[in-house]
Amino acid sequence: MSPLRVTKSRDEFEGEIYESTVVVEGRDLAAPRDGAAGDEVGRPRPRVDGRARVTGAAVYTHDLHLAGMLHAAILRSPYARARVKRVDASKAEALPGVRGVLHRFNAPEVEFRQEKALFRDEVRFLGDEVAAVVADSEGLARYALTLIAVEYEVLPHVVDLEEAASPRAPKIDPDGNVHDAGSYTRGDTRRALREAEATIDVTYRTSTQMHNALETHGAVASWDGERLTVWESTQSVFGVRNMLKDALGLAPAQVRVLCEHMGGGFGAKLGTYKYAVIASLFSMRLGRPVRCVLTRREENLAAGNRSATLQRLRLASSGDRITAIEHETWSNSGQGRWAANPTGPTNTLYDVANVSSVAHRVTTNAGALSAFRAPGYVEGTFALESAIDELALRIGVDPLALRRRHARSRTDPRTGNRYSLKRLLDCYTIGAKEIGWSERRAGGTRGSAPHRRRGLGMASQIWGGGGGPPAYATVHFETDGTAVLRVGVQDIGTGTRTAVAQVCADEIGLRLDQVRVRLGDTEAPYGPGSGGSVTLASIGPAVRLAAHDARAKVLRAAAGILEVRAQELRLERGMVVSEGARTPLGDVMKKLDNSTLIGTGLRHPNPDGLALKTFGAHFARVEVDLRTGEIFVEKIVAVHDVGRIVNPLAAASQVQGGIVQALGFALTEERIVDRGLGRVMNANLEWYEIPTAMDVPEIVVRFVGAPDRRANNLGAKGLGEPPIIPAAAAVANAVANATGARVRHAPMTRARVLAALSMAGIA
Amino acid sequence: MRLVVNGTPREADVREHESLLTVLRERLGLPGSKNACEQGECGSCSVLVDGELVCSCLVLAAAADGRRVETVEALGSAERPHPVQRAFVEAGAVQCGFCTPGFVVAAAALLRENPEPTDAEIREALAGNICRCTGYGTILDAVRRAARITT
Amino acid sequence: MSLFSYTKPRALSEALRLLRGGATALAGGTDLVTLVRHGVARPERLVDLTGIEGLRGWSREKGKGIRIGALTPLADLETSAQLAKLLPIVRESLRDAATPQIRNVGTVGGNLLQRNRCWYFRDEGVPCWLKGGTRCFAVDGESRYHAVVGAHECWMVSPSDLAPALIACDAEIEVASSLGRRRMKLADLFVAPQGKRRREHALREGELVAAVRVPEGALERRGTYLKAMERKAWSFAIVSVAASARIREGRARDVRVVLGGVAPVPWRVAAAEKQLEGTALDDNACLAAADTLLDGATPLRDNGYKVTLARELVRRALRSLAG
Repeated sequence: MSPLRVTKSRDEFEGEIYESTVVVEGRDLAAPRDGAAGDEVGRPRPRVDGRARVTGAAVYTHDLHLAGMLHAAILRSPYARARVKRVDASKAEALPGVRGVLHRFNAPEVEFRQEKALFRDEVRFLGDEVAAVVADSEGLARYALTLIAVEYEVLPHVVDLEEAASPRAPKIDPDGNVHDAGSYTRGDTRRALREAEATIDVTYRTSTQMHNALETHGAVASWDGERLTVWESTQSVFGVRNMLKDALGLAPAQVRVLCEHMGGGFGAKLGTYKYAVIASLFSMRLGRPVRCVLTRREENLAAGNRSATLQRLRLASSGDRITAIEHETWSNSGQGRWAANPTGPTNTLYDVANVSSVAHRVTTNAGALSAFRAPGYVEGTFALESAIDELALRIGVDPLALRRRHARSRTDPRTGNRYSLKRLLDCYTIGAKEIGWSERRAGGTRGSAPHRRRGLGMASQIWGGGGGPPAYATVHFETDGTAVLRVGVQDIGTGTRTAVAQVCADEIGLRLDQVRVRLGDTEAPYGPGSGGSVTLASIGPAVRLAAHDARAKVLRAAAGILEVRAQELRLERGMVVSEGARTPLGDVMKKLDNSTLIGTGLRHPNPDGLALKTFGAHFARVEVDLRTGEIFVEKIVAVHDVGRIVNPLAAASQVQGGIVQALGFALTEERIVDRGLGRVMNANLEWYEIPTAMDVPEIVVRFVGAPDRRANNLGAKGLGEPPIIPAAAAVANAVANATGARVRHAPMTRARVLAALSMAGIA
Repeated sequence: MRLVVNGTPREADVREHESLLTVLRERLGLPGSKNACEQGECGSCSVLVDGELVCSCLVLAAAADGRRVETVEALGSAERPHPVQRAFVEAGAVQCGFCTPGFVVAAAALLRENPEPTDAEIREALAGNICRCTGYGTILDAVRRAARITT
Repeated sequence: MSLFSYTKPRALSEALRLLRGGATALAGGTDLVTLVRHGVARPERLVDLTGIEGLRGWSREKGKGIRIGALTPLADLETSAQLAKLLPIVRESLRDAATPQIRNVGTVGGNLLQRNRCWYFRDEGVPCWLKGGTRCFAVDGESRYHAVVGAHECWMVSPSDLAPALIACDAEIEVASSLGRRRMKLADLFVAPQGKRRREHALREGELVAAVRVPEGALERRGTYLKAMERKAWSFAIVSVAASARIREGRARDVRVVLGGVAPVPWRVAAAEKQLEGTALDDNACLAAADTLLDGATPLRDNGYKVTLARELVRRALRSLAG
């Protein structure tokens, strides 16, 4: 056993680099070579939990029905900003079946999300928590909310990004509404802009996108007098555990968080929110399980969003080189205290000598942002990649050719580190061929009907996804020779459970159905939250090591039982194979009685001095009706460079899903807020329009597929976020190619397309 | 109220304003149908009432009195899945799975009426079901696959 | 959700008696249930009409046109091959209406009588004029889906896809109450809220729509229905157009053009139709008629694009009748 060592690891999470202290034990394995897929890894596999999900047997947080369970509901502010002067809950409390009410005048002191109180004295957005009721049924709890009388002193509010940034806006933060959210410089953009042969100066906008996972946020909390068990629909059981233990003043061992199945997160479920604290407080007070689940309306008010942005880009070129990019952004953070910086792609995607970017976050009286699948990068890529096309048009260069010239660098310009692997140029080549880029004509081509024009567009993607430590796995064998793999991560629908089972089965030499995965439970050693596309690249290598360890042990044990040398044995699909003999592993294990073999594995640090990135490119073919502004997305080709693909079936679905979410962002999805009322007018799935099966184009998914052997022992990187990043810009560029009109605001609604066509003198 | 759920006569105490979905999930122990939008916009609560595909969140429980209701639980089990359920698993049409029961019921209803649907017919039949994860491609594959299994 | 009583009579007379007493009619429920759940409608008594015999299904009597029972599910009309031959515009209008789940239970009568989709109206927390408040919040608020023409105190738009299509077929309705039956033009069912009239429909207390009738003459006309939506399915119309005409020797007769999604009622202007009589429905004639239809349009902050869209959809719909 090699000694422990304490070291540092630098890992990227959602566009930011974090350094952490990690303890490492043992040696890592080398990643298998290109094409060295086993029986499982690299092959399309249906989900191991698929049957539970298609039959309705899978139990989600929403579905939990515990004995004696009570239901909590939350009273939310009807004003965008107001002081809560008085709360009279006596009528609600007097209602039979109501078991308790919490509000700012009676709630215990709770520190949560950097604030001292659970219920604010000044509520700061429409939907802010004012009080909570717990009752025998959800209906009763919601009815009781209507009986709570609250006296508000209404204060001036501002909800719109651009209004809030103006000097005339009411100051809702004492130091003003506009705050720094990061900046970056290399070279001298001022000079490059001055000396350029061509420049463009353009402004883009993106609207607020809502996650709207099908399962709304929710938790069930159950206090047994000593310990709190919380079932939560979450992307991070440990994240929830840590936030709750801090809020409630409990020890880590007193809070257990479980998430077996969950109905989608997309970033909004990385931490927890007040509903879980409320459910916990009520449960601790009453000693009964308490369920608190948000309605669709609440989900759209108070459970996170992708910030609206305003972005100004100035690009300069001389000859066939882009010489400078300046990017300044403002993001509507609502009541969030951070911004998803949109300038990440600007700072890192292209080999441009002079780059300067400044990001601002703007506080408004709207719900806080949260991470939303490639936060910042989706918004920033829409603007950057639109601007690159606008420059290409200005200087008369094919936009793909222009990108190629600036995509060759082997080092990350921000850190100077070499990329572990970068196959962006291959993405371009594969995608261009598949979409028929050579048929692209400046000004587009004729469409399939009168007044329709057809166009092609593309855009590139950069993202992290390298993952990192800490992450742990254990594998032990049942007496029948099947394995139990235990990891501290959760499966948010991406197929983590199946992917880790594949890795485990291959490394040990078992069939997939001989590996049972236990996850979504903080009783396991730590696993990361499922965000930043880190899950598989973090936990996968730990699983491989644990399985490797388990296999070595089981073979040594088998050697003793079978009376051969361990080196002469191997495991193949659940059979112990020696020269001339095949014994089911179960037969061997039976002879060990209850002796249990346990393999352990951990995630080793990322390699020093290397930048781990994912790359990709999307190509779009669209038709646009010049008279009605209707956009028909006909085909999207997505090519991604994310290292080894563990499960091609799940990976392809992941890419398609990301693209369709991006099409929503590009075409139809937009939170609509009345500025005067401070009210979200489409807090539902009627006017918040998520793409349907009718909206989906032909989607072609390709992977470069080369394992990133320097990244980790699997050679795999993350795929959760990359596919949502470039699709909107690819579509916008295709629309511009088709029509000659540039739509600079996502989503590209009828109104915006018609306005752009009219500006260009077309409609 | 009395109704026949998945072939079995059932009784439940209901309040007038409750939906059939609430009765199924909270009174009859059938949480397969999901509550995701509460107003007929997402199809996650799809069930068959007297053989017709409906959003159970829009059906007043009282109005379902005396009717025949089939939920996803009736179509098949993990041991004996319905061809549509099998196809959804094999085609990789399940990600988080929360919308899946609604899709499975809608797809089964489609294939009952129209065993060999065209692609356009599949899309139209599923346009009332929202999926936030898969992008629908694998779901359309699954329905085509199920059509092949059944015919 | 407010509390209410529920009854499901078997006989029409019983239902009419209950309606007379102030009960609220419930058919498919796809609209009413959401209104009640969100506190916008607060009925004390619901009368479920779906148990009544004889109001379901459609029939054709030679020479007398088509009669459609008000309780006929939309899906039955949409999927009837026979009806599609007689009245293709109905199928066209229903194909993009709502979702299969909703069309299966939503009824013809319910579709015609559905409340508008204005987000201020539908939000319990907004005291808009139509709900008894003092002003329409869309006027200086979020108005991208609101009316561009024909609005008075309230800028909501008529949401039905079926209504413009049936009005383009000169449909009439049979209205029943405990006092007897009357017939009226379907177009007259829709009223723009104004003055003391804070509602969208002209039914009197205690009345229900029993049937829709399409006269024989309308079956001889070609019809078409076009709808603009933000996404490709399951959206209410931004703008829709139902048009029909008889084409004789390349000339249009008996032209009807009805717009949905632009006004508080299905929007029809007699002068525009008259203008098209005898024309070849060429581009110029169509656009001139569209201009007449939209004459006096006063878009709000966000919805000027609807005028552009409506002009083009009118042109296309009429052109397709000519072609």
